[in-house]
Amino acid sequence: MKKQLSMLLAAGMAVSLLAGCGGTPSGTGSDSTATADTGASTAATGDATAITLWTYPIGSFGDSATVDSLIAKFNETHPEISVTVEYLDYTNGDDQVTAAIEAGTTPDIIMEGPERLVSNWGAKGKMLPLNDLWTDEAVADISATSENVVSACQWTDGNYYEYPLCMTTHTMAINKEMFEAAGALQYINEDGTWTTENFEKALQALKDSGVTTTAIVYCGGQGGDQGTRALVNNLYSGQFTNADHTAYTADSDANKKALQQLVDWANEGLITYDAAAQASDELQLFANGNVAMTLCWNASNQANYAESVTFTAMPVAFPSDDGVPELCGGIWGFGLFDNGDDAKAAASKEFIKFLCDDAQQGPESVRLTGFFPVRSSFGDVYAGTEDEARMAQFASFMQYLGDYYNVAPGWAEQRTAWWNMLQQIFSGVSVDDATATYQQSCTDAINGAA
Amino acid sequence: MASKTKAAAAGGETLTYNQGTFRNSALVRQQTLAAYLFLLPALIFFVLFVVVPMVMCLVTSFLDYRMGKPLTFVGFAQYIKMFQDPVFLKALQNTFILVIVAVPAVTAFSLWVGSVVYKMSSFKRSFYRCVFYLPVVTGTVAVAVVWKWMFNKYTGLINYVLNATGIIHENISWLGDARFALGCITLILFTTSIGQPIVLYIAALGNVDPSLIDAAEVDGASNLQVFWHIKWPQIMPTTLYILVITTINTFQCYALIQLLTSGGPNHATDTIMYYIYYQAFKLNDYGYGNAMGVVLAIIIAILSAIQFKFAGSSD
Amino acid sequence: MESSVKNKALTPGKVLTNIVLVLLAVFFIFPLYWIVTGSFKDRIAVNASPPVWFPTEPTLDNYIRLLENPALRWLGNTVFMAVVAMGLTCITAAMAGYVLAKKRFPGRTLIFSIMICAMALPKQVILIPLLKEMSFLHLHDSLWAVIFPTVGWPFGIFLMKQFSETIPGEMIEAARIDGAGEVRTFTDVVLPMVTPGIGALAIFTFINSWNDYFLQLIMLNSSENLTISLGIAKIQAEMSNDFGLIMAGAALAAIPIIAVFLAFQKYFTQGIAMGAVKG
Repeated sequence: MKKQLSMLLAAGMAVSLLAGCGGTPSGTGSDSTATADTGASTAATGDATAITLWTYPIGSFGDSATVDSLIAKFNETHPEISVTVEYLDYTNGDDQVTAAIEAGTTPDIIMEGPERLVSNWGAKGKMLPLNDLWTDEAVADISATSENVVSACQWTDGNYYEYPLCMTTHTMAINKEMFEAAGALQYINEDGTWTTENFEKALQALKDSGVTTTAIVYCGGQGGDQGTRALVNNLYSGQFTNADHTAYTADSDANKKALQQLVDWANEGLITYDAAAQASDELQLFANGNVAMTLCWNASNQANYAESVTFTAMPVAFPSDDGVPELCGGIWGFGLFDNGDDAKAAASKEFIKFLCDDAQQGPESVRLTGFFPVRSSFGDVYAGTEDEARMAQFASFMQYLGDYYNVAPGWAEQRTAWWNMLQQIFSGVSVDDATATYQQSCTDAINGAA
Repeated sequence: MASKTKAAAAGGETLTYNQGTFRNSALVRQQTLAAYLFLLPALIFFVLFVVVPMVMCLVTSFLDYRMGKPLTFVGFAQYIKMFQDPVFLKALQNTFILVIVAVPAVTAFSLWVGSVVYKMSSFKRSFYRCVFYLPVVTGTVAVAVVWKWMFNKYTGLINYVLNATGIIHENISWLGDARFALGCITLILFTTSIGQPIVLYIAALGNVDPSLIDAAEVDGASNLQVFWHIKWPQIMPTTLYILVITTINTFQCYALIQLLTSGGPNHATDTIMYYIYYQAFKLNDYGYGNAMGVVLAIIIAILSAIQFKFAGSSD
Repeated sequence: MESSVKNKALTPGKVLTNIVLVLLAVFFIFPLYWIVTGSFKDRIAVNASPPVWFPTEPTLDNYIRLLENPALRWLGNTVFMAVVAMGLTCITAAMAGYVLAKKRFPGRTLIFSIMICAMALPKQVILIPLLKEMSFLHLHDSLWAVIFPTVGWPFGIFLMKQFSETIPGEMIEAARIDGAGEVRTFTDVVLPMVTPGIGALAIFTFINSWNDYFLQLIMLNSSENLTISLGIAKIQAEMSNDFGLIMAGAALAAIPIIAVFLAFQKYFTQGIAMGAVKG
């Protein structure tokens, strides 16, 4: 009997180890797990609510020192709410959110744009409606900047799943010295716009002056794909989706003409493509002075690369046949995951209001992102700062803000199909066939989502 | 030895138990209880964290199971959809190419290295063993990032060397060119796969009875004949083990793809494992992903069975 | 053995073989060399063309920037995870392997067959169900969520069963006749016989657990719980072309495990070889 007892003991140890760990996740566990169960009690007592915030790297919101000081400021007025932050990246962040959703360990607040907050997680019923944050005043103030922002944050069920903080237009940038040396600067208008015709002339001039890599159509993944989308759409004034965002239109005549144009330019050696590069790779090459322009520029990128760039990175619009570009917008803000805890939701909303609506903190939060406010009442948040002149050149592009089509259904599938389509056309598949494949994938995705 | 491995794999009877211990049913009961108590800790982990999710995976492969959608039973619909999905078929094709190239290459190459190295001095032997094992211990992520850098079109070492030696005249986007990408992945996979087989072959060849070899050499057998008639049959179990492990690992090649190419260019490096990941984590279609996982598991099981069968019949 | 090699004349074939072997060795060492040297290069040297073969002006800047991240914490997490997974696997697998090899009881064949089938299953497939389970057990985002599935993986049991097969049945019988109970038979007779196997399994589990990038990615998300593999992947995602920094991270991830491997390689190679060869 003794031996059986001791064996039982051994087995029991293994079991208790399991159970022990199950009972005390805090040993190595995270705040999100540990706090998930305590919601009800905090709601009752009313004091000390712990909330979590996950941010994608949007300007300085990816930087812990900055965010910590911001939380410290918030705690001056709201000492009862403690905020824990985790920083996601764009490569693995979506997987981690997916895992958290399936595991029920989502954060309270998440910072990103409508294509994730609204048309992905919001549409799947994972987010809390933020309709009470969208007061009449907020709607009016934000509409005054752009109606597109308001509609992008609202899902088709009428609920708002994002409360926006900032926005921008995505542009291109050129290496000004390289353009000057090649005599190509003349093809760009004073205001940074240019026509497709002049764009081609500039490419030719760069090539003639010995620049080996003028521009790279990167298509190694979805990172920074707004750049390639904007390039294709603008060249011959195509649209990415139809007006009510129910279908993708890569196979329109204008878009097909543009895609064919890119292939022709690549064949003539005027541009190159790289199916192993994403925008981040292309940006680094631009910053190193290896390529004459980047398709993925905005105020925040300029600030990030300011140190390492030894030339003048001049923002320019995407070239279009009529010289009037339609630039892709980026909108960033906050959403709440539906974790079924009213106290935390209320605390989270306080935090969002502090970040976005507070008369002092609001403009400061916007400055941290490196973008522009969605609230027109904030005015020029960079006035009087050292960034005033730098931001002004980007502000002038805001008038070209195009349709915010990122909320169309099947968006995630579309993004993969898009870079695959570019890879296809550059590897010799005809534009007709490649766009047909792309359209088919999108149609399947839209039907699947319905 | 070979028959033992074969039987073990089939879960067969390879016991060396002693009849004397089964004298009466009380003893049998006691033995059974003792056995299960010894098994219990392992079984707890195995059942909880492998069997239960495995069953859940099988069940959900028959369900429409997408994030934010109600669960509905769809029968074999996702299995049928799979074989009409061009990307899945392409991924299946790529996976098979990878297996067909990598598995024989790994086995043959490690056998060659093993048979050269096992005769060396013990210092040299451990040196080469470590060298070829390095990529395994370095870790997939570290290996992937350094290769990504070396393959870089603009600042990568490989383009520089090939340019400098005049082999190429224009930089190649190795991972971005459908002609090369799968080859590059295969190469990296190869370097991370041969460590263990080499260790195994060195040991197996060292265990071949030297008196047999001497006898054959006295009889005037050539090196090739000695290898083929004496060593080869004796290292057969090792070969078999290497084949099975390498096949399974190659089928499950995923991290390299995710870190290096995301399946591109134009699906040239999509593997089933990567496509499963894409469906589950990018599109949140878990049911479809799980159905593909079940198919992959069946393929691997069938191939392993064939390998065992083949090895068994060649004894 | 050595002398017999030396006694034979150097044939052209042998010279060629050795040259090829040395070249291959260089090829296999090179990525690691490139990681380590790359981690000491400054931004200019890293991107230089022609490449800087050896950093003549080594800089610690990459490591300083790496340590601005909680890299040591990540390293500590990884060590904890790998060591615990290793310990639990060795204990449970040694016990289970022994009875599966040496005892006959109802259900034995069934259990072993299920384990063999499970080994053919792609691990990634069970991740979503596993996530649900971990969440149910309140283990998601803790290192246990990575440790337990590693321990559950039946490879260790399979390996230890192969080892235990080599124990002569008479020895177990003799111990029993001497009056040793089940536990003592196991600890005094079986364990010493399978020690090389446990050594092999230990290193094997350690390496696998250290490198199981995707399981870690899915199960962990707080930056304080990250492992070093996830850390480098994160740095790579954020600083795509800052190769110096990425290489510093890769070096930090690779060097400890290589050190462990070199220190214990004797046991490892012995053990793994015995297990598979004897099996």
